[in-house]
Amino acid sequence: MTKAVLPLESYRLAQYAVQVPCYICEQGNAFDAELCRHCQAPMALAHQVHYQKLAPQMIATIGSSGAGKTVYLGMLLDMLSHMPDEMQIVARGAFSVSLQQNVVQALARCEFPAKTPNEPDRWNWVHCQVRNPKVKDPFELIMPDVAGEALLEEIEHPHSYLAIRSFLSKCSGAMILVDTTSLAAEKSGRDYFTLKLLTYLSELDKDEKTSWQNRPVALIFSKADQCEDSFDDPQIYAQRHAGSLWQFCRERFKHYKFFAAGVAGATAFRKVPGVGRVRAPLRIEPRGVLEPFTWIVRQAMAKSEPPTGRSLKKQK
Amino acid sequence: MFKRLREILPLWHRKIHPASVDKPVLAEPAIEPAAVEPLDDEYIAAHPAANDVESLVNQMLAHHRYALLLRSQIAQNLTPELYATAEHALNEAMGLVPTGNVYLQPSVFDVDCQLIEFENLTAPEEFTVAVQSVYLDRHLVTNRQFQKFVDAGGYQEMAIWDQEIWPAVLDFIDQTDHPGPRFWKNGHYLPGQANLPVVGVSWYEAAAYARWVGKRLPTDAEWVKAGSWPVTLSPTTHLQRKYPWGDTFDRGKANVWASAPSRVVAVNEFSEGASVGGLYQLIGNVWEWTATTLEIDPDAEDAAQGHSTLLKSIRGGAFDTYFEHQANCHFASGENPILRKHNIGFRCALSICDIAEPPDAALHDSNLSDDVPNVKSPFENVHSEPIAGNDSTEEQLNSELSDDQVLVQPVESQATKENRA
Repeated sequence: MTKAVLPLESYRLAQYAVQVPCYICEQGNAFDAELCRHCQAPMALAHQVHYQKLAPQMIATIGSSGAGKTVYLGMLLDMLSHMPDEMQIVARGAFSVSLQQNVVQALARCEFPAKTPNEPDRWNWVHCQVRNPKVKDPFELIMPDVAGEALLEEIEHPHSYLAIRSFLSKCSGAMILVDTTSLAAEKSGRDYFTLKLLTYLSELDKDEKTSWQNRPVALIFSKADQCEDSFDDPQIYAQRHAGSLWQFCRERFKHYKFFAAGVAGATAFRKVPGVGRVRAPLRIEPRGVLEPFTWIVRQAMAKSEPPTGRSLKKQK
Repeated sequence: MFKRLREILPLWHRKIHPASVDKPVLAEPAIEPAAVEPLDDEYIAAHPAANDVESLVNQMLAHHRYALLLRSQIAQNLTPELYATAEHALNEAMGLVPTGNVYLQPSVFDVDCQLIEFENLTAPEEFTVAVQSVYLDRHLVTNRQFQKFVDAGGYQEMAIWDQEIWPAVLDFIDQTDHPGPRFWKNGHYLPGQANLPVVGVSWYEAAAYARWVGKRLPTDAEWVKAGSWPVTLSPTTHLQRKYPWGDTFDRGKANVWASAPSRVVAVNEFSEGASVGGLYQLIGNVWEWTATTLEIDPDAEDAAQGHSTLLKSIRGGAFDTYFEHQANCHFASGENPILRKHNIGFRCALSICDIAEPPDAALHDSNLSDDVPNVKSPFENVHSEPIAGNDSTEEQLNSELSDDQVLVQPVESQATKENRA
């Protein structure tokens, strides 16, 4: 007969007594909390950072609702996980694979993935290790897929989403998706959402050294397959078709660059039983997806040598 | 089994084309990589013409327009030697797809697609299409071949363009505003790209080129049959390959995203992925325009966004196709026929019923024995492109056109019409 080993209640009580800070909002939580009770970010991030002695950097993928953030991020992760000879990512934790899985499975069925819900507890967070053959130490990275509507809510009513505010405050850089089709359809030729977002970022941190003015910003014309001109020269396309955006970036940011990206080669409407008429990709041919990420990672690494696991251990 | 087929098919071909007995018909490895462009201006230099007719034939061959020489209106007026030369050119450049049924997998955009089990290739009757014998280009049309069309004034020859596209033809220009594919400069392909498939062409440009060379675009059914090479086991069961080489994807045999070149490659690369009939790069490198309209539920039209349901089917996948299952013989995608994408090219087709029987040698000899004025020029009734010494203006050429002239008519055989029906 074997004896069951039961944990001493006193140990559990001791663990509860010590608050574990959330890696995103830095507020205390119980040691066994799954999500931060303040910002709803997964506590797995905090545990990984604590136990593996890591200090991941964060890169934001943000844009208006329907700009293609989920598809872009999911496709980026899938592409990078297939490229052993170039920059490659390795997911940390099962939760980090969920986004990639949802997106790729949907695209393979010639569907776009479901819209990201507004509730922060239902967002997909990705914690991964970026490996670059040219760089000795790997690079830890956190990238969440936040809902566009929640982002808009936070921009217009600051502090309404703690997760967004805390996350953007700590980000090393941002990839901002600008919906090319909306830009073309907008008669005034202005993307007010992105302008608001850039204003929000520039006001977020007043410190001259750490403000967003010094952080890299990649502006990506998403769904560019429907507007081929943007692929030819995204900088010129920005000047001609998004003049106010281009001007704003010139004024407020030191490190910015425009890109064009597309995932679907073409789209059409299809009827899905029980859902109705939905836009769907006719085929998947990613174009310009890797370039913004590669650029922003290089910028972030060049700006400040990331404190990798090894260097963090040395410091301690 | 397929080795055996390769042995049988040439024999079968010879049976219906006795004149081709001495020539390779279904040459699977017969096309050497370097022999993609066997006919060019060097051909004319290497074959000095004995007379005007031969000179014109040589020029037609140099422009890859051998299919015109084999049309009944012309072939009957050729010498057996010239006919054999044209037929040899045909067999070198095109592969035969034999008659038979083919199962077409419905597109996911079809209204009833949810009812179809996609992996099940046991063909339901309603998706089985009968295909007549047809020749398909062994290789995709290259920049060099398309250059002949551009140089010969193909973009100005309105008769070979669909009438509805006439207003847009002036907009089919290259990067320097010259008529030509989108990515060319000064009316010429970029250096080093001669053997790359021509891309940046709309469906209408592809169709116009095909007419100019006396061919047409293949239908979906013909394209699928060429790649999947179906075998009918019973009236309702067809075994079809997913890929020209078998049922399993092999990244070494097709240029798709996973294969890693990440660019368009020459039409003679990835030769291991050739089909049973000796057609290269059906899968990967660039998508291929077909003559078929992609059927999309008309209720799903988005009029507000200006999207039309009129999409032309494209097949085979391209160098940047991410999912392997979207680059196989069964997957159909679609594209607006007026768009000129970086990864869409085409190959041409020629119905076997559009190829005339060889001219009667005895009859031709008797003709030759007559007075010279009695020898009818093979081009008498055919409108060709302006040639050296022919100063006809475009208006004059157009005014010369009549209903029975070959080149100006959309080249669509009865078999094709039946297939479409």
